[in-house]
Amino acid sequence: MSAPAPTRPARDESRSRPRHSAWVRRRDRAGLAFVSPFLVAFGLFMIVPLGYAIYDSLFTSRIIGGTVFSGLSNYTQILTSGMFWSGVIRVVIFGAIQIPVMLAIAFFFATAFDLGVAKFGKAFRTIFFIPFAVPVVVSALMWGFLFEPSYGPFVHLASVFGFHNVDFLSNTLMLPSIITIAIWEWTGYNSIILYTALKSVPRDIVEAAILDDTPLWKIIVKVKLPLVRPAIVLLIFLNTIGALQLFVEPLILNNYSAGVITLNWTPVLYIYNTSINDAQYNLGAAMAVVLGLVIVAISITSLLFRRSKGEFS
Amino acid sequence: MTASTLVPPDAAGARPAESRRQRRKREELEERDAVIPVELYGLKRGTVTVLTTCCVLFAIFTLVPIAWIIFNSTKTQANIFGTFGFWFARPFEFFHNFRMLFENVDDDGTYIDWFGNTALYAVLGGVGATALSAFAGYGFARFEFRGSKVLFYIIIGSLLVPIGAITLPLYLVYSKAHLINSIWGMILPSLVAPVGVYLMRTYIRLSVPRELVDAARIDGASEIRIFFRVALPLMVPGLMTVLLLSVVGVWNNYFLPLIIFSNNNLFPLTVGMGLWSQHATTSGDQNLYPLIVMGGLVTIAPLIILFLILQRYWRGGLLLGSIAN
Repeated sequence: MSAPAPTRPARDESRSRPRHSAWVRRRDRAGLAFVSPFLVAFGLFMIVPLGYAIYDSLFTSRIIGGTVFSGLSNYTQILTSGMFWSGVIRVVIFGAIQIPVMLAIAFFFATAFDLGVAKFGKAFRTIFFIPFAVPVVVSALMWGFLFEPSYGPFVHLASVFGFHNVDFLSNTLMLPSIITIAIWEWTGYNSIILYTALKSVPRDIVEAAILDDTPLWKIIVKVKLPLVRPAIVLLIFLNTIGALQLFVEPLILNNYSAGVITLNWTPVLYIYNTSINDAQYNLGAAMAVVLGLVIVAISITSLLFRRSKGEFS
Repeated sequence: MTASTLVPPDAAGARPAESRRQRRKREELEERDAVIPVELYGLKRGTVTVLTTCCVLFAIFTLVPIAWIIFNSTKTQANIFGTFGFWFARPFEFFHNFRMLFENVDDDGTYIDWFGNTALYAVLGGVGATALSAFAGYGFARFEFRGSKVLFYIIIGSLLVPIGAITLPLYLVYSKAHLINSIWGMILPSLVAPVGVYLMRTYIRLSVPRELVDAARIDGASEIRIFFRVALPLMVPGLMTVLLLSVVGVWNNYFLPLIIFSNNNLFPLTVGMGLWSQHATTSGDQNLYPLIVMGGLVTIAPLIILFLILQRYWRGGLLLGSIAN
């Protein structure tokens, strides 16, 4: 509307059109200039390493003969490696439990805050958000102390309730313990995002539902939940990407309970141990590429699922 | 839906003569207005009590580790193991433990150096990432150049790339480019924040009107001048959120520094603390645990304070409120 539109009759239009497009072209070059500093960094520290990883994954270094091109042999080795896939299965189980539980808790509190049915909502929102400010390394350290089998306070707590000699960091309980830590770390953050999404549900829709004598649970499930579904889908997506890359918590907890966390406990842990500790960079690079493809596959599935539900059309 | 999701937290803050107390009061009133009175839902008073109790329980769950770390930062190693975890014990060693943070322990390194390193990496990386995100977000939001859409989707798609796939090759490239044990090896990759670009683009679309930019163009202002004089002032709340997120991102980063630093004096807190916890069990040094606890407390305190001060930026829900489009 405020563009320099020619108001002269049709005769002038033919002349003004090329001028206009030249102006637009110059303007768009400015757009590229704004984006370019980021693009340079993005290219150097994202695309180049990624390309290098893919390139590297096609070679094998041997003790005799140095590094030689080996085609897809690293990939066949990984695809048939139980060591790699057992880690993938573990993080998938981790995500399949942790994400729904966390989102249910987060949605519960977000709804309570949004409806204003819990007192001191503002104070609680602030408290719940605190773990987001705690580095993952430090939260793993703190929870390690709490869970530690010989002096950790939670062991004493469990024995008060009649469960003696519970080892929260044993083989069987390690995964549930890490799930607890992850729920502690991320529930508040997810809850704040859902709360914001819920706040944006138009008030008159809710008021109309109330006037129709719709019961509260129905307002939540039938009115609010569908309107914040995009937010929930996005959170599932982001949390899944994070869950599949589980790394810091097991690495740190290993210091409290040696032997439970194996070298291949999670895929990223396995990549780390293969490349850094064993110096098999090529194999590690191939694993990183495979893990990336697994993440892409899961994300595309969720995207298709979202499409089929008729969202983002 | 979209617009109200992403209302700049202080859109009304532009009113110049409003004091902090007035603003807080106004926000409180607005919040109260926005909530439909509980009675209208036909809830019993008991429900409010039950829900508040749930909140209290989850708040306790949230605060348990924080409380533990505060109590135990005052203890000797023997007392950390031997006394009740959720109360103080004699002797009161808080100041002694705190002093130890300034000493080089076991040749692992000095905590306070790691703290300085973390602050340096977080500030340079965070500010840089925010600046690049702001420029790029503006470029994507207000211009349409050839390939802009594809570029944008590639940037968003990079969120799917696992950290290992980027960090390991970076290490290999660094070892050739002499960036191992260089602070730039840590800071430069931190400048790439795809989420920041996404958030800034969304924020700019909603808070920097196209008409305003066009009007400035007609007045003959250069594009760079328009960015700094017209757009930037309107972007401040979005910038603050992206800054907060990127500082936290660098502050928390573990994988990259773990791999690229072998010189203990360059470690950030996360790697240093990880090393301590490894040595506390393997080397049997009897005095590392109080240090880890105290170090943990000193690590989280600045960030929690930062979040309390900058509350309205994350509370405004800029975070991913943009999901609606």
